[in-house]
Amino acid sequence: MRRMAIESRRSQMLRGVLDLCLLAVVVDEPAYGYEMTRRLRERGLSTVGEGSIYPLLGRLEREGLVATHREASDGGPPRKYYSASPSGRRALHEGVRAWRDVRGEVDSVLATIEAEVAG
Amino acid sequence: MSAFVDECRREWKRLGVPDLLAEEMATELEADLAEAEADGVSTVEMLGESDPRRFAAAWASERGLVSEPVQETKRRRVWPWVVVAFVLLCLFLISFAFIGVGSGQLGRGPQVQVTPLRRVSVPNVIGMKACKAVRIVAGTGVDDWRILGHEHGYDCDLIVVGQTPAPGNVIRRHVTVTLRLGRS
Repeated sequence: MRRMAIESRRSQMLRGVLDLCLLAVVVDEPAYGYEMTRRLRERGLSTVGEGSIYPLLGRLEREGLVATHREASDGGPPRKYYSASPSGRRALHEGVRAWRDVRGEVDSVLATIEAEVAG
Repeated sequence: MSAFVDECRREWKRLGVPDLLAEEMATELEADLAEAEADGVSTVEMLGESDPRRFAAAWASERGLVSEPVQETKRRRVWPWVVVAFVLLCLFLISFAFIGVGSGQLGRGPQVQVTPLRRVSVPNVIGMKACKAVRIVAGTGVDDWRILGHEHGYDCDLIVVGQTPAPGNVIRRHVTVTLRLGRS
C-alpha cells in the first residue's frame, strides 16, 4: 500500500516534466518510440509511471514541438522518427530553466525537513 | 502483443479516428512492441498500461484525433435524458399532427424534408501541414481520401500543395479527396 502511494507520487511528479525528458532524448538525434524509452532507461529513467510516452508524443506532435519523419527499417515497416522542432528546442530550454528553479526552491524547503529527519 | 494492437485498432475505429492515422499509430505501436518483446520487455512494462482501450483513447485524444475521451459513466448518465427528450418530441409531434388535422391545415403549410447529409463542401487545406489537413478533410464527413504518392505513410510536416476536387466544390460523400504533398 505504502509502495503504491510512493509510486503514485513519483508518477505525478514525473508527469510535469516527462515531456522535457522526451524532448531531451531527441534534441540531438531523432528516435522512434521504443528507442526513446531505451534512451530514457540509459539515462536512469527506467519507468515512466502510469500511462505511456505515446499519448505524450501525440501531444508534442500536435503542438508542433516535435517533427516526425519515416525511415525504412530492416525488414519491417518504416519507423516513425521523432525529433525536437525549433519550437520544441525553445520549449525544452525554457522548461529546463523552470524545472531547475522549482527544484531549487523545493530543495530549499525540503532540506530542513531532511535534516530534522536525519537528526 | 498483436491482441493489444488489435484492441487499439477497434477502439480507434469506435472513436472515429481516420483509418489512415489509426493504421499509422497501429504500425508504429506494433513495431515498437515487437522490438521491446525481443529485449524481454513486456507490453505492460513498455507502455505502463494494461488496458488497450484506455491507452488507445488517450493517445488519439492527445493527438487531437477525437474531441474528448468518451467516458462510459457519463454516457450512461446521458441515456435517461435522451429517452425523455425522445418521448417529449414524439408527444409534441403527435399533438401537432392533431392540431393540424383539427384545423384542416395539414398539408397546406410548407413541407420540411429532412434529408441525410449526402454532400459535403471540400475544405481548403492547401498550405496546411499534412496531418492537420487530413484531420480537417476527415472532419467534413467525406468517406475517403488519399495522399498522392504516400499511400504507406507520410511526414506530418509536409505541406499540402494541391488538392482535388478544388476547395469549395460540393461533392458526394463517397468521392475521394486527393491531397498532394510537398516541402514548404
